[in-house]
Parts: sequence; structure tokens; C-alpha cells
Amino acid sequence: MAEHHTATDSKHKASLNAGGSLHGNSRPNAACGGGGKGGLSGGLAQPAGWQSLLSFTILFLAWLAGFSSRLFAVIRFESIIHEFDPWFNYRSTHHLTTNGFYEFLNWFDERSWYPLGRIVGGTVYPGLMVTAGLIHYVLNLLHLTVHIRDVCVFLAPVFSGLTSISTFLLTRELWNQGAGLLAACFIAIVPGYISRSVAGSFDNEGIAIFALQFTYYLWVKSIKTGSVFWSIGCCLSYFYMVSAWGGYVFIINLIPLHVFVLLLMQRYSKRVYIAYSTFYIVGLVLSMQIPFVGFQPIRTSEHTAAAGVFALLQAYALLQYLKNRLTKQEFQTLFFLGVSLAAGVVFLTVIYLTYTGLWFCIKNVNDERVFVALYAISAVYFAGVMVRLMLTLTPVVCMLSAIAFSSVFEHYLGDDMKRENPPIEDSSDEDDKRSSGNLYDKAGKVRKHVSEQEKAEEGLGPNIKSIVTMLMLMLLMMFAVHCTWVTSNAYSSPSVVLASYNNDGTRNILDDFREAYYWLRQNTDEHARVMSWWDYGYQIAGMANRTTLVDNNTWNNSHIALVGKAMSSNESAAYEIMRSLDVDYVLIIFGGVIGYSGDDINKFLWMVRIAEGEHPKDIRESDYFTPQGEFRVDKAGSPVLLNCLMYKMSYYRFGEMQLDFRTPPGFDRTRNAEIGNKDIKFKHLEEAFTSEHWLVRIYKVKKLENREPLEHKLRSIVPRQKYTSKKTSKRKRGHIRNKLVLKKGKKLNKK
Amino acid sequence: MESLPIQVQLGYINYIANGLVNEEVKRTVDLSTHIAKITAEILLLNQGDSAVHSFILAVEPELAPNLAYVGASVKGDEEEDGILELKQTMIQGQSGEFYKVQLPSSLAVGAKLRVKVETVLSHILRPFPTHITQAERQLVVFQGNHYLYSPYPTRSQTTRVRLASKTVESYTKLGNPSKSDEAIEYGPFRDVAPFSEDALKVHYENNTPFLTISSITRIIEVSHWGNIAVEETIDMRHTGAFLKGPFSRYDYQRQSDSGISSVKSFKTILPASAQDVYYRDEIGNISTSHLQILEDSVEVEVRPRFPLFGGWKTHYILGYNLPSYEYLYTLGDQYALKMRLVDHVYDDQVIDSLTVKLILPEGARNIHVETPYPIDRIPDQLHYTYLDTFGRPVLVASKNNLVEQHIQDVVVHYTFNKVLMLQEPLLVVGAFYILFFTVIIYVRLDFSITKDPAAEVRMKVSSITEQVLTLVNKRLGLYRHMDEVVNRYKQSRDTGALNSGRKILEADHRTLTNDISSLQARLKAEGSDLADKVGEVQKLDGQVKELVCRSWQEAERLVAGKVKKEAYIDNEKTLSSKRLELVTRIDSLLDTL
Repeated sequence: MAEHHTATDSKHKASLNAGGSLHGNSRPNAACGGGGKGGLSGGLAQPAGWQSLLSFTILFLAWLAGFSSRLFAVIRFESIIHEFDPWFNYRSTHHLTTNGFYEFLNWFDERSWYPLGRIVGGTVYPGLMVTAGLIHYVLNLLHLTVHIRDVCVFLAPVFSGLTSISTFLLTRELWNQGAGLLAACFIAIVPGYISRSVAGSFDNEGIAIFALQFTYYLWVKSIKTGSVFWSIGCCLSYFYMVSAWGGYVFIINLIPLHVFVLLLMQRYSKRVYIAYSTFYIVGLVLSMQIPFVGFQPIRTSEHTAAAGVFALLQAYALLQYLKNRLTKQEFQTLFFLGVSLAAGVVFLTVIYLTYTGLWFCIKNVNDERVFVALYAISAVYFAGVMVRLMLTLTPVVCMLSAIAFSSVFEHYLGDDMKRENPPIEDSSDEDDKRSSGNLYDKAGKVRKHVSEQEKAEEGLGPNIKSIVTMLMLMLLMMFAVHCTWVTSNAYSSPSVVLASYNNDGTRNILDDFREAYYWLRQNTDEHARVMSWWDYGYQIAGMANRTTLVDNNTWNNSHIALVGKAMSSNESAAYEIMRSLDVDYVLIIFGGVIGYSGDDINKFLWMVRIAEGEHPKDIRESDYFTPQGEFRVDKAGSPVLLNCLMYKMSYYRFGEMQLDFRTPPGFDRTRNAEIGNKDIKFKHLEEAFTSEHWLVRIYKVKKLENREPLEHKLRSIVPRQKYTSKKTSKRKRGHIRNKLVLKKGKKLNKK
Repeated sequence: MESLPIQVQLGYINYIANGLVNEEVKRTVDLSTHIAKITAEILLLNQGDSAVHSFILAVEPELAPNLAYVGASVKGDEEEDGILELKQTMIQGQSGEFYKVQLPSSLAVGAKLRVKVETVLSHILRPFPTHITQAERQLVVFQGNHYLYSPYPTRSQTTRVRLASKTVESYTKLGNPSKSDEAIEYGPFRDVAPFSEDALKVHYENNTPFLTISSITRIIEVSHWGNIAVEETIDMRHTGAFLKGPFSRYDYQRQSDSGISSVKSFKTILPASAQDVYYRDEIGNISTSHLQILEDSVEVEVRPRFPLFGGWKTHYILGYNLPSYEYLYTLGDQYALKMRLVDHVYDDQVIDSLTVKLILPEGARNIHVETPYPIDRIPDQLHYTYLDTFGRPVLVASKNNLVEQHIQDVVVHYTFNKVLMLQEPLLVVGAFYILFFTVIIYVRLDFSITKDPAAEVRMKVSSITEQVLTLVNKRLGLYRHMDEVVNRYKQSRDTGALNSGRKILEADHRTLTNDISSLQARLKAEGSDLADKVGEVQKLDGQVKELVCRSWQEAERLVAGKVKKEAYIDNEKTLSSKRLELVTRIDSLLDTL
């Protein structure tokens, strides 16, 4: 009886959801076969449009969630550009907005790599700056007076929303709408992507992942439809990607690989031919328009695969054409069949070893699913090669896990609801996460008799189903919690501003970097040249607006080595180098007072190594170690280290400083050692500025003095007393017999 | 200045004509800060033939370039000082700056009047030595005048010099002055001739903050939505003795008197209603400030990112919001804004160059400005910000060399049509309207150039099948209702209820079946093979209906006592299993739809 009542109760709900629920009937079948299409056509056919409204809401919420979870740093600190590279991007965007696009393309930055300079316009991917500049321009055109800095800070979070939409589109093409929505939710909060796209992290990757996903979506679309329209769209998106990030190479290799595998799998069709030919030709021409890329697409080896596949595709198409015309070409088709079978077998075995989502995809293979499989495999490979490229792996993992979740839910949740009233329906947050859950409402209730039979067929108890469902939901919830936690703790520090917490929970802000950079900006000559290790080059250029010798665009190793050599030589040798490089100020980072571990002494060995690489005669790494092979800053440290410029600059007057009563004066908190050289005197440098917590120390390089004072006393020449020997006058001197007599010439005074 | 010759003439005549005498003068030269504040209390005596209406104030030619402010007031018996109006003038044959002061009432022959003259000189204290190290103290030199510089003869005069510290290197010793702790007393001097000058020179220690605002841009943005935003962009410089040699943080942290003349922080007093105060510069928020809300003001402890030593400079932006009801007055369409032209930045401030930008709401007309002192107007500009269409009028004005005495109110009158307030909301509404309208148009209309009949048919069919699905499911639901009715009947044995329930349900069933068959006909018309499947569903459904009817009859018979209970249960079992089978088949058919 109770069952009947609940059935009538939910009838009202069911009628509300009538649109979505009916579609659910066809859903279990959609999982196998034309699943993608089923979801799409179902959505369009709804007159009421509940499904599209739901999708829209979910996407909007995903955008919102993605945007707001990236704002930790802005809320905790402020709207500020983070880290190192973003400062350069910000500076060049600023240049773009103030001087215009052409001036930006022709920009020769004489303020970096002194005295070489840098051709910025030709050595950057301008997509990021142009995007930010364009947004700024449009906003200002509408009289929304937003500062370019705020545009830059919030660009990556805004683009994360676009990324989740394009991921939704891509996954929908690959699987179905439900999986697409899941994937959109996943990518919105996945830490791997957040790590490069928090507010303030104004970097290429922030917009490039959007471009990547969107290009792939358009590619899949064009493969599916074979329409030139979508291919051209794909090319434009590819062009945007090329302009934004060096990772475009990933696209230009993955798409040919896809086409190649399709050929191997005997899945060649006119659609593939049209899509790839259009993409390759137009994409190639477009990508060459970026100054930094230039002729690389036809010269370098990364792009040869694309060209090769293009040629192969033309040949294959020709063969197909010939095959249609001439019947005696059968041996060739046989040949291709054999090759493709072998390759396909190998390929499938490889893939079966990867993810569940992948497995689902392969199970129901079609053209675009081959693509996602390849995407996953290559991304895993790249992520393995270089951790930073984990970024390319993130979207595909999101998509595949969304597919896996979606399929699992379709199996378990669907049946579950046929049995009894769905527990899912009541929890409101589930509606955001899963539209598919909603689609099952009614069908089940009506057919309660059926489910008993189905249960017997599937052989799965209701308990197992509910347990699996609950586990999955738990997993999703944990994922959301985990993402937020990771974002908040790991990726939301601007690294320009440091924060420390007192025992009572109040926060201390250590703003030493900006203090020192701002001092440089305000109180040094406008054209002063600042020498520092390359890590801080972009920040000095961006925040202090001063000329730097080396920066994070490490294009000239010998220049970096020269700076490294100056840092690791003794003062007078370093002075020679600094004079030759016209250095006015030297900036170093010293964490010994507050225990900041990322300081220059800890990076020092790299400076030594790089210097040794270029100047092996002058700098030897072994000199900086103790005989036991340790790198120590205390008394036991090597004398070369204790007298090198970096050491002296870091610890100048630090030996007098007593941080607390338990430690001796000159106790370095970062390395937990009492420094070895407490009596540091400078001859050619003087302390110009030290920030409040000693984190940044700036030294001024003195000009040559008029006359260099001698280090030793002048040799006093005491007139020697005449030695009177007791010998006879004849023997007073040594005498050489038959000595040639030298006649001194006389100067002719008069002519 | 166009009427210069006349003024000169006038001034000259005045000076000759009136026989004013400075009967008694008390001068105070306050050198305790980085500016020189000279106040002189003058007892004026009219010894001439006629009553005088004005007198002349004079500033020494040496000090004139440093003159920031000069003001005169009548020292009345009551507490309030009557502030007198000043007008710059010239005197032939004499150098220096001269001001003609209009007296409140004419001074009769032989009458006396006590006036107070206040002069503020900026950048007059010269650091000497000009460069000091971090450990050294700052010494400055003041060069002024022992006497009151006046076009009138002075009968008796005293001069008191207040210093910043006890340490005095040297001072001029005219008339054997007496020196106490932080002050030097000169005089009294008797019968000083007009325009007499005698160099007063004091060389003393002065570690007060020698801060100078080299430029300040003050932007006041008025919004009729209740907010006035104020933003000050400030360039600041330490104008004391330059720092020579290194800056040692160690000494600065460990020794309290190291860098004693440097400036660590200062206090800015904002209006009491200031909200959302921000303090930042080009590279972001300056995290070293503190805000203290007092009863009658908001106090910001402004601490630059780094301590300011001699010659060092900094730049920052300080902004806040004010509620407009405190500053904006309105009468119909007439508005008046009364705000400080320049506000407090730090005590005894010196501003070298001030630019004020007053942004009025879009649509403000007939703008009229009343300034408390002459100020250079720069041509008006237009400012565009959120939701502006034709721009907000911006009044721009600038002035050089200002001190604390210049913190005075400016009044701006303008008219503003209140209907214009609706412009911005309507703009937003319009924009959204257009957006939604475009979306509606895009979704509703077909923009494809080619027609795809197959797709259309497919869409039609799918919509029909969906309707079929709903109806079939509804019909299956009906059966369950019937079961319920039967169950209830079995318990209550109320035949009437059963029959009425049956009648309703059967009517529902009939309409549903009819609907489905009409849909089936439409499907057939579209030429879809799904019609057959629907037909099959109908057929199966007929069988189900039959079964239901049979169970119905059985129940009736049971109630009537025609059947044994066991037999009925057996019967019911077979019936329900049959029914289940049929429903399953219907389901599977539906799934294929």
C-alpha cells in the first residue's frame, strides 16, 4: 500500500518533469549505439525545453563555480598579478594597450637583457595580450572603465568558464549531454587546470586550454559532418591557439594522428578527407601569420607529421578514387586492410590498458571516440615527459571520467529508480551535477512490475546498486571538497606577497618584494640597470620598471652564465664583470631572517653550475663544497663560498644580528646554521636598500674612484748604507775578465 | 593683473597718504616644523589726517618666492577673529610682495586697531649640510628678517623664534637676544623705519618630517545615486637633507636614533563618513597601513612601503567614498556641492602642485564654481564611465604652493534634470531587452538557407512519439488506480463506490486510447513505421484491459460470495502474471520507440 501512495505522490513531480522523464525511456539504449545523437535530438525535440534550460543552468553554475573557486587569492590578498611570467605578460599587455597593436608587434624592449635587448613582438605568443587588450578595449568602448590590471587578473577565471563550455560541447559530441555536463563540472574545478588559471595567474595556459578544447570540439564536429564550415571554424580556433601557446604543437600532431589512425582502421571517408585537407591547408597558412611561429610549421620536425599525414591522405584518397575506377587495384586495398588490422589490434590492446572511460569509448567506437582515445594516450605521454604538460592531460581526464561516471550512473541509477522512488531526486545538489539523474523519474514508477524481472536479468541486487551509487556520489563529493581544498591551499598564493600566521590566528603580510621593487621604481635613476638572478627579471621589469640583465625568458645562456659568474666570484672579480655590464644595482633575495627557503643562497649552486658551464676555467662547482662534499654556509663551509659576492651580499651585517636569545648572532633560519663569515666588508659595493624583513637586499655598485688606493703600504725605500768591506779595494767588486766595455751613447742636444 | 598700473598707482598713493604707524608689534617665527609660520600681532595707529579704510601688508623680497599663504584678521575683543580680505598690489620703488587689506570699518584719526597677520613660508628651511648619513641629525638654516617688513614705521617690536629642538648651532645676535630651551627672543626694537630689513639667521637641528607633496591630483566624482568618490594621487618627497652613503636596515632596526630625520609614517585625516578607504600604488595594495575610525574623523596611518629618507620619494593613491547627503544640497533641479578643495594629507602639509578634478553627473548644466581663493581653471573636460553616453562634465583646476591653511570649502552650483536619473537603469533594461529579443529571434526562426524535409519529419515524429509515450504511461498508471479501487472495494464492499470509480476510470481510459489512436493515425500520415509499433501497443493494451476487467469481475464475484477465497487468489495470480507479461512487452515496445 505504501508503495502506491508514494507512487501517486510523485505523480505530480513526474508531470512536472514530463519532458525530461520520457526521454529517459530511450536512454539505456542510447548508451550503446548513437548515444550522442540521442541526447542531442532529444533535447531539441522538447517543446518546453526543460532539458536545455537545465543544461544552461548547469553550465552557468559550472562557470560560476569555476570562476569563484579561482578567486581565493583575490579575496585573501588583492587583485594582483602572481608569480613571474604573468608579470611579463602583464607588462606587455600594458604596453599593447598604451601603444597600440602595431607598436606592440614591433616592440623592442631595451629594458631587458641589457645590453642586448629583446625583440618582444617577435618572441611572444601574442594571443594572451591581444585577448586581454581586446577585452579592455571593448569594455572601455562601452565606457566600462576597467583597469587593464583587473582585466588581466580575471581573464583566466573567465576563460575557465569558456573552457568548461567547450568541454561540454566536446564531450557531448563524443558521448552524450549528461556526460558533457559532468565533464563541464569537472573541468570547472579540477585542480590540474586551476593551478594555471587562478585569478592573477595571467599566463598563456589560461586561455590556451580553452582554445585547445574548442579546437578539438570543432575538429570532431567537422569530422562528423564533413562540412567545410566546421573545418574553417576549427582552423580559426587553431589559429587562436597558435597565437596563444606553444602547446599548439599538441594539436597539430594529435589531429594528423587521429586521421592516420582512422586511415589505419579503414574508417576513411570523404568527411575525413574534407575536414583534414581544409584544416591542414588553412591552419598552416594561418599559423604562419604569428611572427613568433613564422616558417616553423614547414621547417621544424614537430610539424612534419601533419604534412606527412596530409600527403598520405591525398595519396589514399587518390587510391580510393582509382579503386572506384579501376577494379584491378584490389591488391592494394588488401594491403591496406592487412596493415590496418595489425595496427588496430596493437592499438586496441594498448588502449584496453588505460581508463574505464577510455574502455567505454573503445567499446562503442566511432570516429570521434577514436579521437578522444588518442587524445588521452598522447596527453598521458606528454604529462609523463614534462610535468607542466599535465595541463593537457587534465581536460581529457575530465572528459573520460565524466563519461565513466555518466555510464555508471546510467546503469546503476537508472535501474535503481525503476525499483523504487529515487533517493537522488530529493537531494537538490544532485540536480546541478547530473541532468541524467532527472531523466529517469517517471518511467520507473509506472513500471514497478517490470523492474523485478529486469533485476533478475541483470543479476544485481538493489543493495549493490545503491551502494555503488552512493559510492559514486561520495566520490563526486569528495572530489569537489578535494578540489576546493587544493585550490585554496596550494594554488592561491600570489608568491609576490607572503603571509604568515601568528599563534592567535591573525595574519602578517610580508610585503618585502613589493617594498624593494617599489623603492627601485621610485628612488633610482630611470635608466638604472639592476643585476639579479634571472628568476626576478620579469618582476623587476614589471614592478620596478628598471632595466634588467637577465630575465625569465632565458634565451641567452651565456648572458645568464655571466651573471652567475659575477654572483659566484669574489668581489673584485665580480666588480670587473659588473663594470663591463654597466650594472648600477644588484638585487638579491635573502630568506635567512624569516626562514624563506626560496632565496638566492639556496639557488646558488645553480648559478655556480651555469657559470661553470660557460666559464669552466674561472668557476668550479667543487670549490663551493666542503672537502666532505657538503654545501655549508657556516664556518666549515668552503672559503671560496664564504668570500663570493652572493654570500657577502646575503650576509652583509647579518653577523651582528641576533634574531632571538636562543641562537647566536648571525644565525640563518633558512639553513639553520650560524654563518661562517661575520666580518663582511665591501669595497666596490654599498648597501642601498634592505627590505623590512631582509627578504630583498639591494646593493649599489660604486663608480670607480678617482685613484684606486693601494692595499698595502707604499714601499719605503730606505737608502742603503754603504757597505764597507774589509777587503781590499781591488776586491771590492766582482771582476769579470775581458769584459766588454759598454760605452754609453750621448744624446745629441744640438743638431 | 591686467589692471596693474592702476593698482600700482593706487598703492603708492595710499602709502603716501595714510599716516599709519605700527604702534606695537609682536612677531612669532615658528620654525618647529619644516615650514616657517610667522605671525605678527600689530597694533595699528592712525596718525594721519583722515580715516583709513585699508592698510598694506608687505612680504620681504627674499621670502616672497616661498610665500604659501598670507592672511590677516582683526583681533577683536570677542573670541572670534574677523578675517580680512586681501588683495595683491604693488608699491612703486619697493620690491617684495604687497597686499592691500580692507579693514572692516574705517579707522578714525588717532584710533587703534589690533590685527593679526599670518604668513606661511614653505621650503624656507634649507638643510645644511645638504647631505647627511643615516646616523647624522638634520640641521637646517633659516634666513629671515629681524624686523617686521612693513611700509609703516614701527614704534616697538619683539620677535620670538620657536625652534624644533634645543640644539642650535648658531643664530644672529642682534640686540642681545635671550635664548631659552627651544626659543630665541629678540627685541624689543624701538622706532624701526619702514621697509627695514636685517638678516635673521638661525642654524639649528630639526628632525621633523620634511615631507613635501610634489604633486597631488584630487578627483571628486559625484554620483546622484548617493555616493561621492574621492581619490587622491600623491607624489611625495622627503625634502630634507639628502641621505649620503648606504642605508643600513640593521642600524635602522636596532638603533632608535638612526635615521631620525626619516619618515616612517604619517597620519591622514579623512572625513568622518569616509568608507571603503583604499591605499595603493601602481603595483597594488600597500599593506602597511592602518585605519582608525574616530568619532569626528577617520584616521589613516599612511605608511609608505619603505621609510622615506632625504631625497627619497614615493607615490601612492588614497581613495574613499562619502555619502552624498553630507555634501550635496538640492532645491528642485538646483544642486550645490560643498566640499573641501584640498584635504588634509599630513600635519603642516606643503603641496607644490595641486590639480583638482570635479566630475559632476552626466547632464549637469549651468555649472558655476565658487572657490575660497583664486585658483587656475583649466578648460573643462568630459569623463566617460559606467553607462555614460554623452560624458560627464569635469571641472579641472590647479594651484601651486598650498599649505594647511588652504583646506577650505569649494562650492559648485549646477542644475540637473532629475529625469536623467532614469537614463542609466533604462539603458540596462534596454540592453537586456535587446539581448533576450535576439535570442528569442534566433531560437524561434529558421535561418538555414536549405530545407531538410527528412529532418523535419524526424522531428515531428519524435514529438508525436513522445506524446504517445506520455499517454501510454498514463494509461498504465490508470490500471494501477483500478487495482486500488478494487482493493478498496474488497475491504469496504461498497458496490456503488466501485461502480462510480470504474466509470470514471473507464472514461479516462477511453479518452486516452482515443488520443493514442489519433496520434497513431498522425504517425501513419507522416509515413513512419513507428505507427505499426504503436498499433501493437494498442493491441496489447486491449488485452491488458481485458485482464483488468476480468480481475474486476472476479473481485465482484468474491465479494458476492460466488467464489471461494482460495480460488480467487489462484485466479488473481494467473491474471496478474499474465498482465505483467503484457506490460513488459509494452515496455519493451516503448523502449524501441
